[in-house]
Amino acid sequence: MKESPAAETALAAIEAQQRRWGVARLRTWTVAAAVVAFYIVSWRLAQVDPAKLASGLPKLAHWLAQAWPPNVAELPLFLQRTAETVAMAAIGTTLATLLAIPMAVLASRNITPFPMLYYPARWFLNALRGIDSFVFALLFVAAVGLGPFAGVIGIALHTWGSAAKLFADHIENTPLGPLEAVETTGAGRLTAIAYALVPDVAPVMLSTTLFWWEFNVRASTVLGVVGAGGIGQELKNSMDLLDFSRLFTIIAVILIVVTALDQLSGWLRRKLV
Amino acid sequence: MNAPSGGETVQRSAAAGMAQKRDAGNVHLDVAGLTKAYKGKFAIEGVGFKVRAGEFVAVLGPSGAGKTTLFRCMTGLLTPDRGTVKLADLDVMQLHGRERRHVAVVFQQFNLVSRLSALGNVLAGRLGYVPAWRGWARRFERGDRLLALDCLDRVGLLDKAGQRADTLSGGEQQRVAIARALAQQPDAIVADEPVASLDPKIGSGILDLLRGICHRDGVAVVCSLHQMQFAQTYADRIVGLANGRLVVDMPAGAFDTATAAQLYGGAELRSMLD
Repeated sequence: MKESPAAETALAAIEAQQRRWGVARLRTWTVAAAVVAFYIVSWRLAQVDPAKLASGLPKLAHWLAQAWPPNVAELPLFLQRTAETVAMAAIGTTLATLLAIPMAVLASRNITPFPMLYYPARWFLNALRGIDSFVFALLFVAAVGLGPFAGVIGIALHTWGSAAKLFADHIENTPLGPLEAVETTGAGRLTAIAYALVPDVAPVMLSTTLFWWEFNVRASTVLGVVGAGGIGQELKNSMDLLDFSRLFTIIAVILIVVTALDQLSGWLRRKLV
Repeated sequence: MNAPSGGETVQRSAAAGMAQKRDAGNVHLDVAGLTKAYKGKFAIEGVGFKVRAGEFVAVLGPSGAGKTTLFRCMTGLLTPDRGTVKLADLDVMQLHGRERRHVAVVFQQFNLVSRLSALGNVLAGRLGYVPAWRGWARRFERGDRLLALDCLDRVGLLDKAGQRADTLSGGEQQRVAIARALAQQPDAIVADEPVASLDPKIGSGILDLLRGICHRDGVAVVCSLHQMQFAQTYADRIVGLANGRLVVDMPAGAFDTATAAQLYGGAELRSMLD
């Protein structure tokens, strides 16, 4: 059988490809070297020192031993402060969601009524997202004073950016056929969005909101450290007093509440989708 | 030809007579001189044809002939560079907001709102009539709900009214989309490849339905199709596009193999007939 010219050309191309592998291999090694260098530099910068951990662990074990019996006398106070944290997260997350809906429409390339504002909206959301609620809380403790309200604002601002970006990404990936179809019935743009887009997007929005609430309960336990209220405040007090039985009781309360909320929100989200 | 069910035959012949009495010869949808170019290349050039009320016109043509561009222009989803689409005295291109209800669109991908029930999707057809807040609240008057259920009954899906759209089969979804178009009480229905995503048997059911609506309600129907056998069976007239130009416009009965060869070219025609 005689080989066809097409097969000859294809084989020549494949052989040329194999010769180029020399270059490809060099690139692989360069990338590998860069990754290794990155980790060496990071290790130094982070001042990782296993010897320190080895000497510190017995101290930790000693504290743990002191933690028994747990401090149940103050349990009502701990529960009240934990409720404060859960409430802070709930109010902050809800505010953030309400603010996120109009921003998400602005920041969705496919449905924004003002394409000029698309990039400014995205930048604004990225800025909010880039600053942690902890940092916002720090600022607002200075502005509005100590207490959970500063925490609420911190949570709301950071979550606003994160939630709006998620909503917008979801809207951008939603097929627009149904919206187009409802518009051709004479519904008008806004009614078409409400009728065709909202039923598909709303469950996802609710589900992300629940996720953020749960996430914010966990995150806002540390907000007390900067004076923004909640159970974190008690945590910090105990640490300052080296009162370990109190400290570990608080950690146990946090663990139980967070796990329970995880389960609840997970169950609710499964119901939604 | 597929044998339609007995009941529908009776209904259709009676309706056809009625439609003739009502709208004989009356030009309804008038497409004239439509031209649209992308980056200097014509997608369609000077395309024009007329569709009478109660007439079913099939649009045929090989892939890339410009059918999609033509249909998006006819439904106001795309603005042509030149030419007009008129519905009686209305300029379809100038229709805004609720006036768009005069032209109903049936899509290849059905485009139902997947999380709404079949009834909820059909009620979307009433959004061009009711105040906007009713759409936002999804609260419709009894009359609209009855009309929507009637439309579902006509497409044979009354028993699935409460079922979520994304749980229906492809054929059922397209029937719901047709019921939505019916609920618009349109003067014209524009169907862009309505059966291309369905198997042939389900597809002929859909076309049966569209033809029934066309003849019985005196609605002008323009429908693009892939299979010319479907066009010969269901259409009253066939128009053909090739390379963006209108090359065929004749009664469906006169469309023969020679015309098809002219429209598709030899190679593609052979593959279609196989």
